Amino acid sequence: MSRKAVKPLSYSALIIFLFLIPLFVTSPYHLHIFIMAGIGVMLACSLRLIFNSGQFSMAHGGMMSIGAYTSALLVMKLGLSTWAALGVGAAAAAVLALLVGYPLVRLKGVYFALGTVFLEEIIKLIAQQWTDLTGGVVGLTGVPKPDPIVIPGLLNIDFTSKVDFYYFALVLVLLALLILYAIERSRINQIFLSIKQSESLAESVGVNTAKFKVLAFTMGCFFAGLAGAFYSQFMTVVMPSSFGFVYTVYVIVYMVVGGEKKFYGPIIGAVILIFLPESVRFLKEYQPFVFAAVLMLVIFFLPEGMVSLPQRLKMFFRERRKHA
Amino acid sequence: MDSATLLQSIVNGLMAGCIYILVATGLALLLSVMGIVQLAHGEIYMLGGYLTYYFCDIAGLHYLLALLIAMVLIGGLGILIEKAFFRPFRHGDLAPTVILSLGLMLLLQTSAVVTFGGYTKVLTTPFPGIINIAGVILSQERLILILITAVFVGGLFFLLYKTEVGRTMRAVSQDMNAALLLGISVDRVSSFAMFLGCALAAVAGGLMGAVFSLSPFMGGFALMKGIAVIVLGGMGSITGAVIGGLIIGLIDGIVPPLLSVEMASTIGFLVIILILLFRPQGIKGQPSR
Repeated sequence: MSRKAVKPLSYSALIIFLFLIPLFVTSPYHLHIFIMAGIGVMLACSLRLIFNSGQFSMAHGGMMSIGAYTSALLVMKLGLSTWAALGVGAAAAAVLALLVGYPLVRLKGVYFALGTVFLEEIIKLIAQQWTDLTGGVVGLTGVPKPDPIVIPGLLNIDFTSKVDFYYFALVLVLLALLILYAIERSRINQIFLSIKQSESLAESVGVNTAKFKVLAFTMGCFFAGLAGAFYSQFMTVVMPSSFGFVYTVYVIVYMVVGGEKKFYGPIIGAVILIFLPESVRFLKEYQPFVFAAVLMLVIFFLPEGMVSLPQRLKMFFRERRKHA
Repeated sequence: MDSATLLQSIVNGLMAGCIYILVATGLALLLSVMGIVQLAHGEIYMLGGYLTYYFCDIAGLHYLLALLIAMVLIGGLGILIEKAFFRPFRHGDLAPTVILSLGLMLLLQTSAVVTFGGYTKVLTTPFPGIINIAGVILSQERLILILITAVFVGGLFFLLYKTEVGRTMRAVSQDMNAALLLGISVDRVSSFAMFLGCALAAVAGGLMGAVFSLSPFMGGFALMKGIAVIVLGGMGSITGAVIGGLIIGLIDGIVPPLLSVEMASTIGFLVIILILLFRPQGIKGQPSR
């Protein structure tokens, strides 16, 4: 078999394996964590798109709330189909990102990061106060689950079990990753990376940096909105505190600790860091220590993220062999 | 709103502003001298409050003495944290310091939950009296809080602008490499900045614990306000942090009786975003290079 054929084959094997997971994992609780990991993957990867253009956005949680509230309200108040609401929720986050993007990209570096913190806080505060619409601090409860998919005699998915949601999440995340990967391999991403490396240099060769930065921000926020809309249908509850500042910081952690230089870095980061706290549940209130320790070890010893571990190990052993 | 309520809200606003200033000056110092955004600063503030509580209510020391001891101890903790965690990341990328300080935040918060318990504690008010000025009733402790803050902020300004140490700190914040060339020990200056920042946050925590209550999760609020203040005032500017703290504090004091606490925060953040759009570097900040 040629080397070229190995990659697509292993990817297909991985995807088939993911589709088979509900056969091995039957407990609803564990499937729930798998689904949350899927949401984390989508958020971390879409945040990386914004990051690629040199912007440190801390508004991802806020954009997720926009998606969640928009889709939930459209279904609950206007009776829209849940599938349409999913798209509109994502689009709402993208439109908001487009509107606030132009003024926000005027801010550079740390200022942009902190400006997006305030954007997120304002979204949260509005959700808390507009009680008539959003239900205030309590939030929205009883958000409808996705409409059933029925093909008579063939298929009847009514989203009553976690398995249905698992497949829904899996398809959604794979689609999102496919689109994000296409963007990653496109010319646009080259422009994003050039802005990240040197904004003034990119400008000097005729790149409209503001336009492309807003584009990256908008596209990234679209997927955050999508994740939020899915979340609202999955959890059937949306609260202003669901996706706060700390939630956003966790998404940044998935991305950076996984390794933001590689496309699959945030995927690995999100999956490992979402499963890690669950695997040490027996530690009870000491549980966050493990998480904190992993973060610090990675930052100190693997500055390129978890994905650089194999390479690091290879280098380490080569060094040892040389000295031996 | 009658004039008595107005005056009371102004005093409340000044008090909130004082807490914000104490937290924000520390954040601003760390940002200018070391170039890091310390997300665990709120937890430092929380620990300061708890230490004051233990020395005052449990050990039975006088409140002011307890505050002073907490301040020195937390400042020392700050030096350790600087040496152990932040030193290699000085003036580097934003991402690693965000991750690192999140780890630190979890570490300190979890330690607090484990040792102090998750429920809230109340510091016994050291100055329970009230003062009646022409029909306006003001609590003594809030006025003393404002006084203590004024003393500390005055001391900080004296230190920064009138002493040799302050001058080296300002030199490092202007240009770390040039300061290194001039033989300034950036390591020592960073340690000192961390000591000062953490000590001020501890004072804020101790003062806040006497007015309201203590909980292991009180840091998030202080961090958010601190960030708001330094962004408004201009990143890394101490004068800006004082002005910004007063503005945000007064908004938080005067708006709630008229509308609501949440409205006050919303208005505060909107004001900041508006100011940033016209002056992206904040009130007293230097344009970013």
